[in-house]
Amino acid sequence: MVGLFVRLKLRLISGNLRGDTVKQVGFVLTSLIALACAAGGFALFALLRLASPDIASNVAIVAFTVFTIGWILVPLLAFGLDETLDPSRLALFPLTARQMAAGLFAASATGPWPLASLVALAGAVAGLASGAGGVLIGVLAVLLQFALCLVASRAVTTALSATLRSRRGRDALAVGAVLVIVLFQLPGLLANRGLSGDPAALLDSLASALRWAPPGMAAHAIADGGLAGLGELAVVAATVAVLTWLWIAALRRSLVTPDSSNQSGGAVRRSRLGGLLPQGMVGAVVAKELKYARREPRGRIAWLMPIVVTGVLTFSLRGPDGWEGPLLAIGPACFAAVMIGVQAANSFGIDGRSLWMNAVAFSTERDVRTDFAGRQLAVAIIAVPLLLVLSVAASLIMGRPAWIAPAVFTAWGVLGVGLGVGAVTSVLVPYTLPERINAFSGAAPGQGGEAFLGSMAAMLGAGLLALPVMLPVFLGLTWASVLAVPYGLLAAWGGRRLGGVIGHNRLPEIVAAVSRPT
Amino acid sequence: MVEAKPEAVKTQGLFKRFGAQIAVAGVDLLVPRGSFAGLVGPNGAGKTTTLSMVTGLQRPDGGLIEINGHNVWRDPVKVKSRIGVLPEGLRLFERLSGRELLLYNGELRGIPRDEVARRADELLRVMDLVESQDKLVVDYSTGMRKKIGLAAALLHNPDVLFLDEPFEGVDPVSANTLVDVLQRYTSSGSTVVFSSHVMDLVERLCDWVSVMSRGSIVAQGPIDSIRNGRSLNEAFLDLVGVRGGGEEGLSWLGSSSA
Repeated sequence: MVGLFVRLKLRLISGNLRGDTVKQVGFVLTSLIALACAAGGFALFALLRLASPDIASNVAIVAFTVFTIGWILVPLLAFGLDETLDPSRLALFPLTARQMAAGLFAASATGPWPLASLVALAGAVAGLASGAGGVLIGVLAVLLQFALCLVASRAVTTALSATLRSRRGRDALAVGAVLVIVLFQLPGLLANRGLSGDPAALLDSLASALRWAPPGMAAHAIADGGLAGLGELAVVAATVAVLTWLWIAALRRSLVTPDSSNQSGGAVRRSRLGGLLPQGMVGAVVAKELKYARREPRGRIAWLMPIVVTGVLTFSLRGPDGWEGPLLAIGPACFAAVMIGVQAANSFGIDGRSLWMNAVAFSTERDVRTDFAGRQLAVAIIAVPLLLVLSVAASLIMGRPAWIAPAVFTAWGVLGVGLGVGAVTSVLVPYTLPERINAFSGAAPGQGGEAFLGSMAAMLGAGLLALPVMLPVFLGLTWASVLAVPYGLLAAWGGRRLGGVIGHNRLPEIVAAVSRPT
Repeated sequence: MVEAKPEAVKTQGLFKRFGAQIAVAGVDLLVPRGSFAGLVGPNGAGKTTTLSMVTGLQRPDGGLIEINGHNVWRDPVKVKSRIGVLPEGLRLFERLSGRELLLYNGELRGIPRDEVARRADELLRVMDLVESQDKLVVDYSTGMRKKIGLAAALLHNPDVLFLDEPFEGVDPVSANTLVDVLQRYTSSGSTVVFSSHVMDLVERLCDWVSVMSRGSIVAQGPIDSIRNGRSLNEAFLDLVGVRGGGEEGLSWLGSSSA
């Protein structure tokens, strides 16, 4: 059974590569990177021998824990990469849950990345172990740690596989992925803020907390190399056993639970605010765009990112060697406005394959222009209050309430310019946004160039057009920010006029460009 | 209606190529007004490409398209408000509920909000979608998606309706609803053009057939003249020129062999 699953995994890998040069090159590159990671990881662990024993064991404890977390999170975020991961595909075969667990375990140990992890982890033996007994315990500890990673990852994906296959689960996961990325920024931010000046002390406090979790114990056991180490290994082995038992239980349940991914979700509430919107095309587009910002994971992420980035920026600018003057308050808000504007650079991307519905209804330049007006209004309905809040927050954090007005006026103006430029790039370089869980790949296969060109053009165009209002404000003439809002309105109007003319002539091409298979 | 009415759909030398491959090689499609017309052909015959070009969703490389006598590409204002479209692939605004999708479509076409709501409620009732009208389209089944797509295409009361594979993957109950609505629609003098490769259905519903093969029309006219005494399926296989032999091989298949 184990051999069969390993062969299945190898065959899936090779079958995926057959006849596709891009994928083959990609696989070779991935393997090379995995090899480099294996060698690098091994070398880094081995180098711990040069550090003092305390620091060495602390680093190993933290590294083992990060490894385990990585093993749990990465397959979750990349679910679907590995067809052997999904137990429901195997449900029809006459296998017991135990047989299947053994097979799936073997399959998940096969491949470039698991092997790279094993090699890297083995470096810990080279870096920490002392004496023959230490090496023996070390080898055991590394194998147990590897098993722990595999089993923990398997148990979590199996338990969540039903959720991951449902539409709601995938929606939640896409937003969760952003939060994970943000979490990874936190340590850097904290370090940047100087919460703990001494990295060694930080490492020590982190390691002393993680020391008693199973991965920490495995790492500590290698360094210890004695009876205490053996005891710790027993705990790790028990953890692996418990996780395996949980995994088999989850597997057994998932094999007999019907696939719920096709069951329909709940109903949505009818909007009561819809009646406030103007009748006709503008109101319809605004209502649709606002619903998409709320219900579509890519829409939610698009609005989450400027908030997060501005928050990070505000905190990291504030420091002894940060910027000076009003720029501190105006900068973050303007940056958020630019980010929101850049998202408007491919307005039709989120509509994607459904854009034909607009295309069969639009017969004049005015129709396309009105569509843009609706989209701009929808963005403004969210962004105008958002930028106000961000400006107030940034100014108050800096302790300068007087900067609120210039900050918010400039940001609103920049937003207008961004929307205007976005209307033009949306019709000139439209591209398909991928619908996969991974919310970070920018465009459908083969359209990376368009995506890059579109965002660059939008950023450069918006930057140049916004200079007349931003420059005087940045140079200290804060009263000039009053002019930013009418200037932004003018730019948005001009952009949607131009976008309407070009867009009307290019409608079939735009529909084709945003409807690529992903 | 004293003067000679122009055809509902008329194309001349319609042509489209993708790279080296010619998808549509000079199609002269003709659909008289008020007919229930079927566009049949094997996969890859160019049906979808033809329908996309006729409905203004794909730009032809050459040829002329007229709907009710108006040029689709030169006079879109006159054409687009008078046609309804349901393209292949069920591409709808996934994150709107069925009802919101209809309201969006109606308002996009400039129908007053109250009128849109009235028509949407009626369409939802006829299509048997009242229970799921507030669910997101992304959670709809294939049959529900076809029905909401058809409802959206009918909402502005078009003269000509273009449907690409409207019955593919639809359960019998939903298919029956679709057929009922379409027959009511054509009996009032409106035109339906739909592509399909289910011959029985075309034979049962249509009074006009256009047969496509390898990018051109190989036969078109009233269904009886195309059938010429045969079943439509036989006529189609003769016209397209493929008759497969399923007799050889597979001797092990079935319970009679060991």
